[in-house]
Amino acid sequence: MNSSVAIETHNLTKTFKSRERNLEVRRSVFNRREPEMVTAVDHLNLEIRRGELFGLLGPNGAGKTTLVKILCTLFPPDEGEALVNGFDVVSQQMDVRRSIGSLFSVGERGAFWRLSGYKNLEFFSAIYNVPRSKRHERIMEVLDLVGLKDKAFVRYQKYSGGMKRKLGLARALLPDTPILLLDEPTVGLDVISSRTSREFIKNDLSKKAGKTVLYTTHYVEEASQICDRIGILNMGRLVACDTPQAIRGIVKKGEVVEIRVKSIMDVQIEAIKTIEGVIDVVSETEDFVVGQRRLRLHLGSIGSLPIVLDFFFKEKILLIDLKREEPTLEDAFMELTGTGLEK
Amino acid sequence: MSQEIEKIYYFIKRDITSFSTYKTNMILMVLGALFGAISYAYLGNNATMQSVLQLYHLSFKDYLVIGIAFSTYIGQALTLVQATATPWQLEEVLVSPTKLGTFIIGSSAWGFIWSTVVVVIYLAVGSLAFGVVLSVNLIGTLLVLALGIGTLVGFSMIGAGILIVVKQGDPMTWLMGILTSVFGNVLFPPQVMPSPLRVVSYFVPQYYFFTCIRLMMTGQSVQAILPDLLTLTLMCAIILPLGYLIYSWCLRSARKNGTLSWF
Repeated sequence: MNSSVAIETHNLTKTFKSRERNLEVRRSVFNRREPEMVTAVDHLNLEIRRGELFGLLGPNGAGKTTLVKILCTLFPPDEGEALVNGFDVVSQQMDVRRSIGSLFSVGERGAFWRLSGYKNLEFFSAIYNVPRSKRHERIMEVLDLVGLKDKAFVRYQKYSGGMKRKLGLARALLPDTPILLLDEPTVGLDVISSRTSREFIKNDLSKKAGKTVLYTTHYVEEASQICDRIGILNMGRLVACDTPQAIRGIVKKGEVVEIRVKSIMDVQIEAIKTIEGVIDVVSETEDFVVGQRRLRLHLGSIGSLPIVLDFFFKEKILLIDLKREEPTLEDAFMELTGTGLEK
Repeated sequence: MSQEIEKIYYFIKRDITSFSTYKTNMILMVLGALFGAISYAYLGNNATMQSVLQLYHLSFKDYLVIGIAFSTYIGQALTLVQATATPWQLEEVLVSPTKLGTFIIGSSAWGFIWSTVVVVIYLAVGSLAFGVVLSVNLIGTLLVLALGIGTLVGFSMIGAGILIVVKQGDPMTWLMGILTSVFGNVLFPPQVMPSPLRVVSYFVPQYYFFTCIRLMMTGQSVQAILPDLLTLTLMCAIILPLGYLIYSWCLRSARKNGTLSWF
């Protein structure tokens, strides 16, 4: 065990029976098929250093939540091992639990809706062994930290979605553990609440308090803004793990060009993808009424650009603007996984 | 108009499709109705009242009030663990440094306290307003209650474990509900049933619980219920640890399969 490492996994693997069933296929009692198995986490080797704010990026089903649930002892791994704060998630579960605060993406289901935020935290502070003499002080402290002090005695059921999420974060902070596992902490939050939460996690939890934070998200911008390092998870495998800058460098091989156009149809965008030298195209509607779109083209080399422009000319697609761009984390993600991320 | 009728058809189709995916629940509901009819048929039978007088030396009113009071208590106790230990609360607690035993006891404690209050209200109203004669053997009553609760918590944990695995239509709670109403000596003594059915009662802990509790509530000595009390003790000694083992196993299985928070 390395003392500078807060979380480490070695060949960690978790397989589940597939949740998907074909409802149209009726099977007789005597003709039961073997369930399909899905490998959610696949021989994962990962090291998160103490005090690090580590972002785990990946599309739906990449294995992010499964990994978090293994790390917080909820799911036992099938193979390999995971150590949290130096403790094994299988054989030293209680030590692991004393070392972590966790927030799940559907955490509000575990809250008690008819109790106030304060009363919810009072219950969880007992569950998390916060000493009785310090409970009130600690509850008010975390409520203040997440900006819910004024609403402490309002019933949870009257909280907005953002407030519920903040209370979930407050609950994760209650035991004042060295490690925080935050599974999509900003999901469902409005833009301002999301930014406030991100700043709080980066400035207060990571920088000031020096906590190790594992932060899973769909949102590429979030991860690139706040995380010290990022891991990209795809189909249970870690396909990249480095600083945001270094991961962006992965797409340095090609060129990224951003083009604004009018009057382009989906079928034409698909046709651009088939042009030789075009690695990928991401399209975003900017003005639906006038049919203006922004295309982000990832090209093998700048030499492919004239072919693309010639296509626009032939198809009578109106070009408004064109510029070379620095590759983003999303470009890197596309290249590594062939899948888009949500914005 | 025909469009609106078609919409109603699709509402029904949606609900039937959804309902039919919970097959265990569907079967249990149909069988529940069948057993309900049997127990109410015996309740209205003259032979039942005569049998009560012969066996317990109680009026049918006293027999029924004590039985219903404690059946409410038992009905609540049976569903306590599964009602309070919901999958998502389980997730929240299982990531904290809290032992499973603490979680189960903590989750069900208030339910037991409230059930006790309900039983006391039943008995007080029965006694004060309807003249039910009570002469409580306190130590005996507490002893029978402890054994009854222990046994029922065992069943409740088995039910909660099954619920964690099958997600809907907990067959253990259903089974215990049926056994309580038909074979449990709540609404009528099993002695009025045909002998093959009567035999079933002797394997049902509720039968011994209600037999003992009635006698303890009417001033009998513990010696008078000793054989039934020993049987209840034996059942408790088996079912309580078995329930804990099954619950722990189901929980481990759901954690292994990643289905803990499904419902």
